[in-house]
Amino acid sequence: MKKPPRALRVLGVVAAGLLLVSGCNANPSQSSSNQTTAATKGGDLTILTSSTQLNFDPAKSQSLAITSLGLVLRRLTSWETSPNAPTKVIPDLATDTGRPSDGGRTWTYTLKDGLKYDDGTPITSEDIKYGVERSFAPQLSGGLSYHKSLLVGGSSYGGPYDGKQLSSIETPNDKTIVFHLNAPYGDWPWIVSMGAFAPVPKAKDTNPATYGNDPAASGPYKIDKLQQGVSLTMSRNPNWSQATDQARTAGPDTITFKMGQDETVQAQALISDSGANATSFGADFVPAAQLAQAQGNPQVGNRLVTSADGALNFLSMNTQRGALKNVKVRQAFNYAIDRKAFITASGGSVSGDPATTLITPGIPGRQVYDDYPAGDDGDVAKAKQLLSESGQSNLKLTLLVSNQPIALAQAQAIQQALQRIGGVTITLRPLDDNALSSAVTQGNGDYDLYLGSWQPDFPSANGNIQPLFDSSQIGNGGYNTSRYDNAKVDALIKQATGEVDQTKAEALWAEADKAIMADAPVVPLSYAKNSFLHGSKVQNFFIGEFPAYPNYLRVTVSR
Amino acid sequence: MASGALTEQTPVVARPGVDFWRRLRRDRAAVAGGVIIVAFVLIALLAPVLSAVSGNNPYDYDLDALGPNTAPKGFGGGISARHWFGVEPLTGRDLFSVVVYGARTSLLVGITATVVSVALGVVIGVVAGYVGGWTDRIVSRVTDVIFGFPSLIFIIALGAIVPASFPKSFLIVLVIGFFGWPTIARVVRGQTLALKERNYVTAARASGAGPLHVMASELLPNLTATIIVFATISIPGKIGAEAALSFLGVGVPPPTPAWGRSIGDAIAWVGIDPMFLVFPGAALFLITMAFNLFGDGLRDVLDPRTGRAR
Repeated sequence: MKKPPRALRVLGVVAAGLLLVSGCNANPSQSSSNQTTAATKGGDLTILTSSTQLNFDPAKSQSLAITSLGLVLRRLTSWETSPNAPTKVIPDLATDTGRPSDGGRTWTYTLKDGLKYDDGTPITSEDIKYGVERSFAPQLSGGLSYHKSLLVGGSSYGGPYDGKQLSSIETPNDKTIVFHLNAPYGDWPWIVSMGAFAPVPKAKDTNPATYGNDPAASGPYKIDKLQQGVSLTMSRNPNWSQATDQARTAGPDTITFKMGQDETVQAQALISDSGANATSFGADFVPAAQLAQAQGNPQVGNRLVTSADGALNFLSMNTQRGALKNVKVRQAFNYAIDRKAFITASGGSVSGDPATTLITPGIPGRQVYDDYPAGDDGDVAKAKQLLSESGQSNLKLTLLVSNQPIALAQAQAIQQALQRIGGVTITLRPLDDNALSSAVTQGNGDYDLYLGSWQPDFPSANGNIQPLFDSSQIGNGGYNTSRYDNAKVDALIKQATGEVDQTKAEALWAEADKAIMADAPVVPLSYAKNSFLHGSKVQNFFIGEFPAYPNYLRVTVSR
Repeated sequence: MASGALTEQTPVVARPGVDFWRRLRRDRAAVAGGVIIVAFVLIALLAPVLSAVSGNNPYDYDLDALGPNTAPKGFGGGISARHWFGVEPLTGRDLFSVVVYGARTSLLVGITATVVSVALGVVIGVVAGYVGGWTDRIVSRVTDVIFGFPSLIFIIALGAIVPASFPKSFLIVLVIGFFGWPTIARVVRGQTLALKERNYVTAARASGAGPLHVMASELLPNLTATIIVFATISIPGKIGAEAALSFLGVGVPPPTPAWGRSIGDAIAWVGIDPMFLVFPGAALFLITMAFNLFGDGLRDVLDPRTGRAR
């Protein structure tokens, strides 16, 4: 369950770079409400991104179902997002979202009729099986990997390239595929919307390392030209049929990704709306300064689109280090935090709302509570009291943070808030995103504090809790960055994961949320809102309740 | 100015010190540069006092000074009786204090890094020039390599590797200082080559002086002018290097104020809050210009060749 950088996952970037959120325009029911506009066919859409590398290999991509990868590759299921309704899982290549049997341990899917790749060959269930199998190959790691530990035999399987197959996936005929899981798993329909469940014809996978440059297209677009670092152009896939696809509208004739576009420059170009910028949108969050600029600019108006509360920004405290082993110290930090300063540093109230729970708004079953009521800007007196009770004094702590400007501003807000307690000295250690990610997810954890951000990969509390707090996620690429290890919580997570009854599962997750916060391994800071800009000719640009990203599959360009 | 007029009238046999100051004072640009340098040094030394006079410090947040869009409220980036230069967007920290404390970072790094590079450069230059032969050839090639080394990239990479416990400011001083020595080493080597053929050096050697004595007592005093001029002229380069590192986000870690970081942050805000760029930018511009003017003046006065040309 790796899952680093949120922003970049959307585009399916190879290298994990992590952008902390900034956001805009507080209203969950977005300002840009032209999603009701009928889908216009035609036109050329441009997507501006700061990424320098795009990856369309379904095994390596961390792209969500509704973003770039979804334009080219279909999976068994997809998502239906809407700004005023919960996100739903819907059938994509399959006729339904999955038929469970054996108490949720076995899931069966049937493919729709008449599905073809861009070269005209039919899409078969064997191709999907092969696609899943290759995601296990060590040379194709990096993609979302929830399925790897769920499928029977997955933990010891090393991919199809040495001739072995994964026997827990059965394909009784060309149209049917059956998955056998280790344990009942109620969220499986969401899992099969991930990249690894896109069909890959074995005949085309002659060189796995470069397959992602021109994959066999099942979606409405195929990749025409890819120049890493510069641009990527897609045009229509003649063999895609709207009749079989309820997730995509395939409006534009061509879609071009312009890579390496600085976020600030991107935002300024989109604010100006001149020339080709009118038919463009930005894949990156609008930085704080441009957010302020866009908010005050009547020319921008509803071209600035802000999500509802999304990812959780949090301060991880390494529970296995020095004074931070002491729960009272961690609780003191929870009281001392200045959420107002943090949110201001992120770009103001349009960039997020104060957070107190680990399960994020918009996730079914979330219960609102606040164990450490600190008010807008912290309860320093209470924090002082807890710190003196803890018997710890003169704390010298290092805070690891991304060297991106927004992250640095946020880290300084945390620093000044915690230093108000007295006897606490916090040193910032800005790191390049890749170095940061390996420092916190690998090794023994040579850090005290870490400023992190997390958005689940599918709308279930499972995605909020398990990757961040299960003790199996400490080190080795896992994102338990507070190195939190509590057997009782592990047991609760296991119980909730295996619960097929959604209502019961939700109650268990809410219980886990509170149980974890009682130990205060993190300080929840804010629920980030993401803001995006688009040109005046871009239509149907909206952000659903989950995830806090626009739905690329439905964006159109007006004539 | 009465004393000035007096000295001009008196046909004194030029005492070197007096002559130096008189000639330097005649160079208006150098005087202006010197005044600005002194002013900045005072500002840096008195930063806590100045900042306290305005009732601020560079670390405290003042969120009330910001509007809902996180940009400063009011005229000129929030300029007011309390915040003389306005405030930073996103934090509301007092920009006057940030700029004043930033002078400490810039001058400290600029001057100490210069000391490091001058010390290295002089030692290496004198040895190479005086000893000559293979030593000279090897040292000269090493100098060329360091001279052409992509030091900025190296510093950025080094910043990621060095453990967090190692003080970042010290590392920056060391690294900027280390990559600064080749220029001065070359010049000092050239001068040493010329000087060591002079009669007084030959005489010293003939009377049995060892190489260390010759270098320290005969050569160094005659290199002093060159060294002072070079040191002064290279300070703005070092200040610029520190600012560049901070601009790129790899300089002294926040929240320690640094002009380069403020400038880097301000670039994004220039459309909304131009004063955030103007104040730290002007400070950096003034100090580098001042050192350049003063250094040029010094060279004209001290350097025998340009002196003769006058």
